[in-house]
Amino acid sequence: MAELQGLGAQLSQAERAGVEIVAVSPDPNERSQQVAEGLRLGHRFLADRDLAVARRYGLVHTGGGPDGRDVPRPATVVLDRDGVVRWFSITRNFQVRPDPDDVLRAVRAL
Amino acid sequence: MTSGRLAGLSVVVAIGAVAAYVLLLRVAVVRNHPEGYVVAFALATALAILAVVRARARRWPAWLALGLASLLLVAGAWFNFVVARVPDAPTALRVGEQPPDFTLPDAAGRPVSLGDFRGKKPVVLVFYRGYW
Repeated sequence: MAELQGLGAQLSQAERAGVEIVAVSPDPNERSQQVAEGLRLGHRFLADRDLAVARRYGLVHTGGGPDGRDVPRPATVVLDRDGVVRWFSITRNFQVRPDPDDVLRAVRAL
Repeated sequence: MTSGRLAGLSVVVAIGAVAAYVLLLRVAVVRNHPEGYVVAFALATALAILAVVRARARRWPAWLALGLASLLLVAGAWFNFVVARVPDAPTALRVGEQPPDFTLPDAAGRPVSLGDFRGKKPVVLVFYRGYW
């Protein structure tokens, strides 16, 4: 979640209006809603309960969760207005997330 | 430096590294260099070894510091280099290409598709592990 907090805090009002932040996790909707309200974020939280989307994207850390459950592999993707990938970052160590400054730079470069 | 002081310094470095990492987790530089705490535990272990070597009469503080620091070093290294490592796998993401479209329910239960934003807004798509 640190990446979401950092990004939300650093996006200026103008950028917030112009960029859609879509956060995908296996969390149920109620949990995501609580997180969104708790962090005062305007992000859209989407529930990928069975990791179907993460799997289609090749972003599953097999057995990486508690009790050997599969969890998403943390990743951040910047898409331009036409839906084309312009920048992305996929973690090799689940403690590591992209620097919000790098994400912002990619957004500003669109 | 006396053995007691070396042992004390070792404990401060070891506990300080844990506290600094936890407290500064939101700072990208700290968060993104988890090997930093492993290095700090290694330093604390080296200081404790020196304390054990120099110990004359009262040896237990040095051994206590060595026990703590070496335990943290083994646990920290195992977590950072084994547990937290995500094996590389091929992904559907290519710069310059459209990723697969999908539809998922948002927090209110309404279906949202990635394609909804095409031609309208740039998107930052974040996959995260979620809370358990």
